[in-house]
Amino acid sequence: MIFPFTAIVDQEEMKLAIILNVIDPSIGGVLIMGEKGTAKSTTVRALADLLPEIEVIKGCRFCCSPQGPFCSDCLDKIEKNQALENEKKKMRVVELPLGVTEDRVVGSLDIEHAIKRGEKRFEPGILADANRNFLYVDEVNLLEDHIVDLLLDSAAMGINTVEREGVSFVHPARFILVGTMNPEEGELRPQLLDRFGLCVQVNSIRDKALRVEILKRKAEFDDDPEGFHKKWQNAQEEIAEKIINAKERLKDIAITEESVSAVVDITAELNLDGHRADLVMLKTARAFAAFSGRAEITQEDIKKIAPLALRHRLKRLPFEDISQEAEKLHAILERI
Amino acid sequence: MQSLKEYKINFFNFVNQENAKLALLLNLIEPRCGGVLLAGKRGTGKSTLLRAFCDILKQLKIPSVQLPINATEEAVLGGIDIEETIKTGKRVFQRGLLSRANRGFLVIEDINLFPQDILSIVFEVQAREENIIEREGITLREPVQFQILATMNPEEADFSSHFLDRFGICVIMDEVRDKDKKVEILKLNALDECHFTEQYQLFKKILKYKDFIKKVKVSDEIKEFIADLILKEAVSGHRGDIYLYYASKAFAAYREEETVTEEHVQAVAPLVLNHRRRTIEPEPEEKKHEQEHETDSSNNSENRQEQKDREQKTPLSQSQESHDGKSQSIPSSEKEEVFPIGEKFKVKRFIFKKDRIVRQTTGRRTKTKTKGRGGRYVRSLMQKRPDIAIDATLRAAAPFQKLRAMKDNVVIFDDDLRYKEKERRMSHNVIFVVDGSGSMGVEQRMKATKGAVLSLLIDCYQKRDKVAMIVFRKDRAEIVLPPTSSVELAQRRLKEIPTGGKTPLGAGILEAYKLIKKIRLKELESRFIVIIITDGRGNVSISNNPPLKELESVCFLLRGFPHVDFIVIDTENKKGFLKMDMALKIAHLLEARYATLENIKAEDLTEIVREVHQTA
Repeated sequence: MIFPFTAIVDQEEMKLAIILNVIDPSIGGVLIMGEKGTAKSTTVRALADLLPEIEVIKGCRFCCSPQGPFCSDCLDKIEKNQALENEKKKMRVVELPLGVTEDRVVGSLDIEHAIKRGEKRFEPGILADANRNFLYVDEVNLLEDHIVDLLLDSAAMGINTVEREGVSFVHPARFILVGTMNPEEGELRPQLLDRFGLCVQVNSIRDKALRVEILKRKAEFDDDPEGFHKKWQNAQEEIAEKIINAKERLKDIAITEESVSAVVDITAELNLDGHRADLVMLKTARAFAAFSGRAEITQEDIKKIAPLALRHRLKRLPFEDISQEAEKLHAILERI
Repeated sequence: MQSLKEYKINFFNFVNQENAKLALLLNLIEPRCGGVLLAGKRGTGKSTLLRAFCDILKQLKIPSVQLPINATEEAVLGGIDIEETIKTGKRVFQRGLLSRANRGFLVIEDINLFPQDILSIVFEVQAREENIIEREGITLREPVQFQILATMNPEEADFSSHFLDRFGICVIMDEVRDKDKKVEILKLNALDECHFTEQYQLFKKILKYKDFIKKVKVSDEIKEFIADLILKEAVSGHRGDIYLYYASKAFAAYREEETVTEEHVQAVAPLVLNHRRRTIEPEPEEKKHEQEHETDSSNNSENRQEQKDREQKTPLSQSQESHDGKSQSIPSSEKEEVFPIGEKFKVKRFIFKKDRIVRQTTGRRTKTKTKGRGGRYVRSLMQKRPDIAIDATLRAAAPFQKLRAMKDNVVIFDDDLRYKEKERRMSHNVIFVVDGSGSMGVEQRMKATKGAVLSLLIDCYQKRDKVAMIVFRKDRAEIVLPPTSSVELAQRRLKEIPTGGKTPLGAGILEAYKLIKKIRLKELESRFIVIIITDGRGNVSISNNPPLKELESVCFLLRGFPHVDFIVIDTENKKGFLKMDMALKIAHLLEARYATLENIKAEDLTEIVREVHQTA
């Protein structure tokens, strides 16, 4: 039994960042930074219950989207002019455990199939499972370097290519990367840091009433997980529906000239490298507007999500004091 | 009878250490108490007590599994069963240590000597209560619930606070000093007494408590009391609340009382909270000074006159004039100041380049990993390395044997080859030994020094070195930053270093010696770079010898280590009147590379590096 998402006390920013990624997966994931024991992992695991369904090609092991890109299997079918049917599948949270081996990340040869049928077939790995789903890495900063290399590789291309035992296979690997880390345990590789669309900082709650509430809910959950789930079911369904609605309305949200220029103004003033920050901010603001039930992006939306999108991009060099930059951001946002 | 002899000392008659015993019992009564860490010096009975406890577990049919220090990832998590897999041509899973500890206890002796990566995996699985296996073509999820019982001797190595937080309870085991009790212990060890009936009673009791806890109620007032207590103790995170809650509940059951009272909470609070307290850093005594200094540097032109008066002299630019005796009187004063970090500059790959020479290999982190054949085999890789991992290669090839029509020999293809990754990655440990004495406070030397340290830290960061920092001042040396790879932490600590007081240089170097010794226990292959930043004017000793004599012997001690290199950075004002060049002398004693604060800037550094090149 997993602790329900809605029953997690406070930590609103973390919850929002995750929800916005469900609404628009192209935002690019969330990095959750925080000290020990602040419900980082609990929140991400709880997400699974809220995930909506997505349209996939029927029978495809890689959850290919009907709009493409396609895996080798689906491409074969298209070439042979076979009709592709669609079906709905619930999005998932796929975990990448710390002790993972490389062949399980990229996939390998399906032996049983090979022995029984005498034909070589690709056995999907974690990257395949993660396609169009959430890929969750707990303690992402402790992940082995050679595994991070594999992640970066497919994150950049959106494709996983496998050549092994005479099997060659290509399949899309577009995942929403969610990582948690405790910065005290070590740094994250800058390349990987940049891959995360949003970044949230969680702290322990200092408010006594909230702390008592956490303890109460935790004890209640431990004593009777099923009863607890029932109690929170309404809240869970409500938010799941809100997410689905927002997802549907996402494309209708108007991106106004004003909102684009507001985003660019902020990033220009902060002197950020690259265009990823601009894009992520706009997408996140749009998702937030959809989630809040608005028809267009307002200045308030941008103001609200700017820290999420920019927090981890402010720091360009190690040791550079980011508090100064953070203040600058704060000042800019105040003006809006 | 055999087993009885072996366990002459059982849990029941174990003398003293009541807290430790209580902690273990609480965990037995309520598995959500979060495990126990027993910390204490050697010979305090940590392991003996754990073994006695495991004996009870055995009789209660609760599994307990020991994690050996050389365990590989495969052994811990599970992997392919080679024999079965070859036979059947299907991947057959072999359970790992963790799954054997399911619903029981995992015992980790000397947990602080274990490599971080294995511990990360263990704690990750424990927190998730599920073992997700994604290895060698096997995907499997099995529920695994276990508690960790661990021992550590803090003298031997440090333990990450992150892991510490995962333990529900931590007990510090002190030596038994009471004479009567000592006699009792001795008797126990010498005699062949056994307490059959008592032990049997204990089992019966435990089973009773386990049943009783279901009846125990916790009121909202008690929950609030717990929250209050936690907030007061400034504990980080939320695990403390939860573990305290369950420990109190278990304690109430132990007392056979149906409602948890404040007294119960208070009784177990030290066990749960002791190791969780944030190290509250003392407010710098003269915070005002710090602020003044900051304004000084920002409004330099305006304040220069005042600053001149107070500081006797202005910084580097005007330091050509000779000193009068007055400025020299400041060093020994007890005045304490915290200086901001001075300007940083490029020290491009100073450490790195130097390192390359010392090792006669390319010093890149990954290459260091592969160098040599020694070291511990942590995991197998598909990427090429010098050593083939036979076990992993066999495991990779095993499923294919039927397909490849194996007869008498195992057929291995190139694709199956797996290589060993050795644990010698943590190759660099950089230890900064910083002089925080009063003499460093003059002319804002400390500010420039901090700038230099920061510049060197950046270099360490880029090379993913671990850094530690020792500051010596007044009458002692102190590790202000235990070895860490977190740069932010290092920078924060650097900022906070105060100056003032005498110069116990010998103590500082001795502390570096102790630290190296400690780290080497865990990471035998580690390389060290000790960077000593001082003006060399040691004026107080910690032994009976005069400062200089003491310095010589400590330096001699330190030089005895293999794989340690030294850099001495002299902060003395070379244009000053009372130039003593003491730091240069230390550099000679340690056979260290030597640089002054003035010539450590980028261009000069390349010179040093080149010079080192030639001499090495």
